[in-house]
Amino acid sequence: MMDDQSPKFFFRGTSILLRMVFFSALSISLMASDARFHYLGSLRQAGMLMLYPFQWLANRPEAIYQTLNEYVVTQTTLREQLATLKNESLLQSSKLQQLQSLEAENNHLKSLLMLSENSQFKVRPAEIIALINHSYSHKVIISSGQEEGVIDGQAVIDEQGVIGQVTRVFRYTSEVTLLTDRDFAIPIQIERNGLRAIAYGRGNRYSISLPYLPANIDLLKGDRLITSGIDGTYPAGLLVAEIAELKTSSNSPFAIVHAQPLGGVHNFRQVLLIEPQEKSKSLNEAQQISQQDQQQHQQNRLKAQELLHKMQERTE
Amino acid sequence: MTRAKIYLAMALAFILQLMPWSTWVHPEFVLMTLLYCLLRSPHLCGIGTAWVVGVILDLMTGVLFGQHALAYTLTAFLALFYQRRLILFTNLQQMGYILLLLLFNQSIMMLLQAYTGQYSLLILFLSSIASLLIWYLAHLLWLNRER
Repeated sequence: MMDDQSPKFFFRGTSILLRMVFFSALSISLMASDARFHYLGSLRQAGMLMLYPFQWLANRPEAIYQTLNEYVVTQTTLREQLATLKNESLLQSSKLQQLQSLEAENNHLKSLLMLSENSQFKVRPAEIIALINHSYSHKVIISSGQEEGVIDGQAVIDEQGVIGQVTRVFRYTSEVTLLTDRDFAIPIQIERNGLRAIAYGRGNRYSISLPYLPANIDLLKGDRLITSGIDGTYPAGLLVAEIAELKTSSNSPFAIVHAQPLGGVHNFRQVLLIEPQEKSKSLNEAQQISQQDQQQHQQNRLKAQELLHKMQERTE
Repeated sequence: MTRAKIYLAMALAFILQLMPWSTWVHPEFVLMTLLYCLLRSPHLCGIGTAWVVGVILDLMTGVLFGQHALAYTLTAFLALFYQRRLILFTNLQQMGYILLLLLFNQSIMMLLQAYTGQYSLLILFLSSIASLLIWYLAHLLWLNRER
């Protein structure tokens, strides 16, 4: 291809064409082995460990900027913040009281109905340290990994709603796929009427879609979507999104539904990881309850027998 | 350029690339540094370098292994193919060719990722222009004049 007119005095190594072909083949085989056979997981682990200092360094400017921002705050803004925070905490404490009584009532009702109680989920804070900067994928790297006990598949939320899910765990960091990623799916429920559906990311930063819903579905603009909790990954009742766009088209039997995520999917640095719940917990509880019931039943029978004996003795 | 300088520049480029840029305009520091090294000192780095750099970038971005590697290998080939003519060009001509290389690289990435997500020609073009701007800044900052 490259016609050198000058005679070859010096050996310059193999031709670049040959090298290009070799390395292209190598890349393609890498892609194939990564996509098909998942051989390269450990390699990725090791690589991420080596890249950690780079990520840390790349994150410094912004972190320094933020700490500086925190230092250089005027007293008035601090006062204002304090006032708003106090107000908020008052409001929240009153709400909390209501919530506690409601929760107690709810648990009581559930125990009456022999359903497993809604276990409170635990959360663990984490910080977003790097964006995987790609126009195509919506993923971030957070600052906790295997060392902190992060597990593949944990749900990630912020104070407003669901953000995404942990998809890869490394030694000190983990990768979180955001709600808006093309490959993301989350089981949801419409808050207003309890309708179940699955929402998918579209690769668009500001909306997710609810495909395959019939055109006559009972949805309104502004309806809120919450997690249904059916999959066991997300606890039920977390806010996910709000219906933003609702269309029907004459050439499709399905409604076109787009929803806007409520969590700051692309905004915040601090996120919360939800500790996974034991899936068998409710089952165990049910077994325990049934065992207790059986024991009580037996005790009752024994008592009844004793009473019978006594009665018989008396009559004699 | 010496080997140490190249390593240093590459490390710096990786750190810059990892910084949180906007998703619309994402300058490709690593690719620009790579192209610069390829054009200036082809005796020190070649297609193998491009491949290794691509694999590291695959690691960083968490995409399928080999995507950046393939794109960078092909782009490096095109850069090296015309390298001896290219270093004789004026800066403006060089920048034109670099823009072509950037667009070529982006379109390969787009083809490889087309099945995973939506892509936008605008993002593709904006990123390339931003990268080209880095080339021009580097030129202004005297980097480009050591011939």
